[in-house]
Amino acid sequence: MSLIVAAFGFGLVSMSIIAISAVGFTMQFGITNMINLAYGQVMIASAYAAYAVNNAGVSIWLSLPVAAVFGAVFSFLLNRLVYAPFQRKGTNLIGMVIISLAVSLVIANVMLPIAGYYSVSYHQNPGPTYHLGSIALTGEQLAIIGVAVVVMLAIHALLRFTRLGKAMRATAANATLARNCGIPTARVIDLAWLITGALCGIAGAVAGMNSDSFSVASGSEFLIPIIAASILGGAGSPYGAMIGAVIIGEMTEISAAIISPEYKQVVAFAVLVLVMVLRPQGLLAKRGALAAAG
Amino acid sequence: MTYYLTTILVYAAVDILACLAISLQFGVSGIVNFSFIIFQAAGAYTAGVLSLPSDTENGGFQTYILGLHLSFPLPWIGATLVGALLAIPIGLVALRRLRSDYQAIAMLVLSVIASLVVTNTPAFLDGAAGLSLVPQPLSDKFNPYSEGYLWAYTAGALVLAVIVFFIAQRVINSPYGRSLRAMRENEMAANALGKNAVALKMTVFILGGAIAGLSGAILIGFITTWAPSTWLYPETLILFAAVIVGGRGNNFGAVLGALLVPVGFEEATRYLPPIGPPGLIPALEWVCIGGLILGFLWFRPRGVLPERRRVFAARRTAVAGGELHAGRD
Repeated sequence: MSLIVAAFGFGLVSMSIIAISAVGFTMQFGITNMINLAYGQVMIASAYAAYAVNNAGVSIWLSLPVAAVFGAVFSFLLNRLVYAPFQRKGTNLIGMVIISLAVSLVIANVMLPIAGYYSVSYHQNPGPTYHLGSIALTGEQLAIIGVAVVVMLAIHALLRFTRLGKAMRATAANATLARNCGIPTARVIDLAWLITGALCGIAGAVAGMNSDSFSVASGSEFLIPIIAASILGGAGSPYGAMIGAVIIGEMTEISAAIISPEYKQVVAFAVLVLVMVLRPQGLLAKRGALAAAG
Repeated sequence: MTYYLTTILVYAAVDILACLAISLQFGVSGIVNFSFIIFQAAGAYTAGVLSLPSDTENGGFQTYILGLHLSFPLPWIGATLVGALLAIPIGLVALRRLRSDYQAIAMLVLSVIASLVVTNTPAFLDGAAGLSLVPQPLSDKFNPYSEGYLWAYTAGALVLAVIVFFIAQRVINSPYGRSLRAMRENEMAANALGKNAVALKMTVFILGGAIAGLSGAILIGFITTWAPSTWLYPETLILFAAVIVGGRGNNFGAVLGALLVPVGFEEATRYLPPIGPPGLIPALEWVCIGGLILGFLWFRPRGVLPERRRVFAARRTAVAGGELHAGRD
């Protein structure tokens, strides 16, 4: 029993990382109608960017903004240079999925010679371990949970209380109508890529901090729980992705304690299959891709 | 030299089979099967465990299920059947209700998961080490290392590729193929005309799975080993690159793509001087595959040999003026 409670604690950390990444992933899909399969590779590239700074002697917490900026700029350029031109050309949804997978392959293999073939880990100090019953988390893990809470509140405030957030929701619901109402959708989409890219970068760095080590190959492993959480919550819905992250994060960690850690991804996949069979639109049915919850 | 030539030709036959199957699924019917490689893997593993003796023999250095030690045509038939059977549950989950881009990512995730499961379950198909020492077909009657055997194997593989090519030709020129194209172009309209889109997708998915299974059996019979590292998900993307380059929906294009991309790339990089650190050239190869997909989708989305435009001959005189428009997309 205490094993499961301890796993629940690790689930809190896992869900935090999945939430940051899945909200970015699902917002890209909601606002730009683009399933960006290169997301995992941008995460890992950002994690390496933070590693480069961290390796030069900067604390990992100060490297985190570097990862965020790197992810933002990288995603922005990716859209401007590759995705947007193809979309303007009228490439269909399926074509865009193939393109993003090809991009992911290119990023991973350009990174390999630069970043190296071996796993790396951050120079970090996990801090003292705090206990609550059988839950034992390091200071660093608590900080990751804190980062996730702050990021989620920031996204909520952005979507709910700012003009930009309103414009994003309008663009997601109907881009043509939004443009006709005078919303500069091109600029909104640019900003959306910057913001989601920053989420992607932060997620990459905290995922790197929470795992013993990471390598270029980790990119596609990151993607599975992200896809599972996004689709579980209802693709395109940031609040759905948060709920999805909670469920996937806890289920994978608890199943790791009960069955075996090797099958974490398989559990995430099983949830994905169940959702696809029973409720393909996700838990929060899509009312305009980015409609506010409630 | 014999060994080199026969190896290229067997790989060519296997890649042609795979590209024909992908062209039927993706080019003709619009199904993006990102888990294609697991069908080939299922065929190869099936052929392997059907032709290997029980795993306690050979000193028991590998563990696997079955081990029936069947004689030649049975493992290949079994592989084809398993490829087709595997398509049924996957198709039922993925192809019924999901939007086409969801289908694609579901299958991509499936491909990653399948290789994780096989790697982490050594008792099933020997885990990461994979099957080895798989007996070649008819190796109890002939010497599998003789030149004659290698050439006969190659000829057999090529004959199967030609047969499947003619089957694929029949499919795309039949009313069934026409329904598939109608579904690809506009699924709702095809439904409205009484075409059962789910049944159409399922049949072509099963057909593609069977072809993939056969291609896996041909490959494992020749190279005698099969491990998870040979069927990671990017392998599917090479085949997609081949079909996009060759021309999707056109069987000649699929063959051309198979010869240019998987076969041509392997051969071209073989002769490169070993520059840079080890692993640089394979990484660059993958970059090129990705670049090839992006480049072709940008500059020539229909490929080198585009799908033939089909018009009704009888109406040609009646709508002579309209044909200018019919000729455009």
